[in-house]
Amino acid sequence: MNGWTGHILRVDLTSKTFKKETFTEEFALKWIGGRGFAAKILYDELKPGIDPLGPENKFIVALGPIAGIPAPNTGKAVVAGKSPMTGGYGDGNLGTRVAEHLRKAGYDALIVEGKADRPTMLYIEDDKVEFLPADAVWGQGTYETNDWIYAKYGKGVGVINIGQAGENLVRYAVVRSLEGRAGGRTGMGAVMGSKLLKAVVVKGSKPIPQADAAGMKKAGHDDLREVHRIDKETGWSIQSTNGVLAWCNEVAALPVRNFRKTHHPDAWKVDGERLNDARIATYGCPNCTMRCGITIHDDEGRESELDYENIGLLGPNLEIFDLPEVGALNYLCDDYGIDTMSGGCVLSFYADAIEHGAATGDYRFGDAAGSKKLLGMIARREGEIGDLLAEGTLRAALKFGRGSEAYAMQVKGLEVAAYNCKFIPGMALAFGVSPIGAHHKESWVITFELKSTSRESYGREKAQKVIELQRIRGGLFEYIVACRFPWIEVGWDLENYPKYFNLVSGLNWTLDDFWTVSDRIYSLIKLFWLREYPQTDRKLDYPPAVWFDPANADTEGPIAGKVLEYDKYDGLLQHYYDIRGYDKRGIPTRATLERLGLAEEARAAEKFGSLT
Amino acid sequence: MRITVKLIGPFIQAFGFSEKELDVPSGTTADSVLDLVAVDRSRPKIVTRNGRAVAPGEELREGDRLVISPIYSGG
Repeated sequence: MNGWTGHILRVDLTSKTFKKETFTEEFALKWIGGRGFAAKILYDELKPGIDPLGPENKFIVALGPIAGIPAPNTGKAVVAGKSPMTGGYGDGNLGTRVAEHLRKAGYDALIVEGKADRPTMLYIEDDKVEFLPADAVWGQGTYETNDWIYAKYGKGVGVINIGQAGENLVRYAVVRSLEGRAGGRTGMGAVMGSKLLKAVVVKGSKPIPQADAAGMKKAGHDDLREVHRIDKETGWSIQSTNGVLAWCNEVAALPVRNFRKTHHPDAWKVDGERLNDARIATYGCPNCTMRCGITIHDDEGRESELDYENIGLLGPNLEIFDLPEVGALNYLCDDYGIDTMSGGCVLSFYADAIEHGAATGDYRFGDAAGSKKLLGMIARREGEIGDLLAEGTLRAALKFGRGSEAYAMQVKGLEVAAYNCKFIPGMALAFGVSPIGAHHKESWVITFELKSTSRESYGREKAQKVIELQRIRGGLFEYIVACRFPWIEVGWDLENYPKYFNLVSGLNWTLDDFWTVSDRIYSLIKLFWLREYPQTDRKLDYPPAVWFDPANADTEGPIAGKVLEYDKYDGLLQHYYDIRGYDKRGIPTRATLERLGLAEEARAAEKFGSLT
Repeated sequence: MRITVKLIGPFIQAFGFSEKELDVPSGTTADSVLDLVAVDRSRPKIVTRNGRAVAPGEELREGDRLVISPIYSGG
């Protein structure tokens, strides 16, 4: 079976045993890899209702057929499990040498089960698996842990690890890799921590099975050079993702003051120009052609790697407009292993809650020193407030009460990324129907909304565009497992991806073949949610209430007086369900499930929740 | 009349400025400003006027802020 190794490594931390399992070609073609493999395995193997932070949960690293093969931006891996943040399906992706090494060790996925009896580092070298003590770095941050691992094995191995946040089960703890890579903001770091799994180190030396290895090598190397050339020509990497900050500020889409405001006169102080001016280094993932990690010195002289989401949510959203201070908050999140997006939203929510009388404390917007202190308290679950904020905004809001849930900036329990959708209906929908909770990676439609349709529209065209982007971003790139940036930011032709897939697999797929796979995976994830929440309701797909609140409307600027409207949003949501073939609750109908080849999974779901 | 033109992201290096004020005759359209500031028309872009997407033939007014950005795609 070319394109796949055909094997999954299953490791049991409780019994310190492992097995090399084989999967069929039918499984490979139906789920491809990455998110597809992870969703199917979790759906089949997890009993609904289990504690995401208990030993019954599974931590999965899943790769795709082009993962780790030299070609544009293929050095990424998907990490997945039942999410401690949402209680639903959770995943994320991150750049890591694990992508290449796990494939070269002979595996397309790793499933970690059970719980170790002491802090453990899993070491995988081809057919060998070792359960090594990690007591020496338990309690340490991700940077020190990485250095400890590199000192043992050199910098060439694949590493993923967690910081104190993962160890202490902070629900939005991430998995970390390399200098500044992080993934799994749905709490995959906490899932590792719950298993006392501090790190996974992988070293592989076998060839990855490919139908046309010579053809793939030539196409991959040619295209690596070409995408790099295009990036230089367009200049995208000059400001990288943070180029969008200034634009968001101009069009009233920037999160400011816990999303209460959409723009700020000081935003320029942390924009892409200033970031580029402060640059001391640039980092990227393995096989990267357009490195996005712009690194600066933070206010304590440490290297901090920044992108737009970090800056948007730890900067303007907290009303902190000093780039080295924002860098310090980002550094701390990275070292503790806290998701920068949820971390920023949790802090802004706390400041907002204090301001609105729902919580007590001396923390305020604009307080960089207080933000640093709180991040440490969260990572250690220190004191009542550190422990509560480690739970995320939704759980904190339920504790605070006094209507604070309205401005807990989350969907399904996961905090929103750095786009203020107070009056951007399509992007609000994209957050609402993201299958893991609010995340921009699934679909990003703001420029489409402003350029190709009207901002005021709640029309079917926006729902259609959200689905089109989900099929590519949350679908193709998440199961073939490659970074979407070459396509989405510098226009690298999407047809290149079936080309790579066909070279490694020997198949002859077109993009249309992939869209069915994308829809199948999205529907399966919906079934996962249905089993966990049998009383599910379309309200789960609603964005935060504050975006609908006229009292929260801007008083000046491009969207003065405008907010989302409930009935119109609900209509837009219905368009989405209609196009997808979902019922009024947002669950795929039986007919949809059968069309997508999910009849068996549908029968399994019906033991827990009804289908229409 | 006086307007402000702001470039976003790599357009700053490509077209040589970040933000500047211009004196333009009344009746100047958003589209004609692209030529005034020598923006390469072949580059995909989104142009906003005071934060709202602008039609190419739309006439500008005193104090307008025109922002010319590459089409970002949200990372």
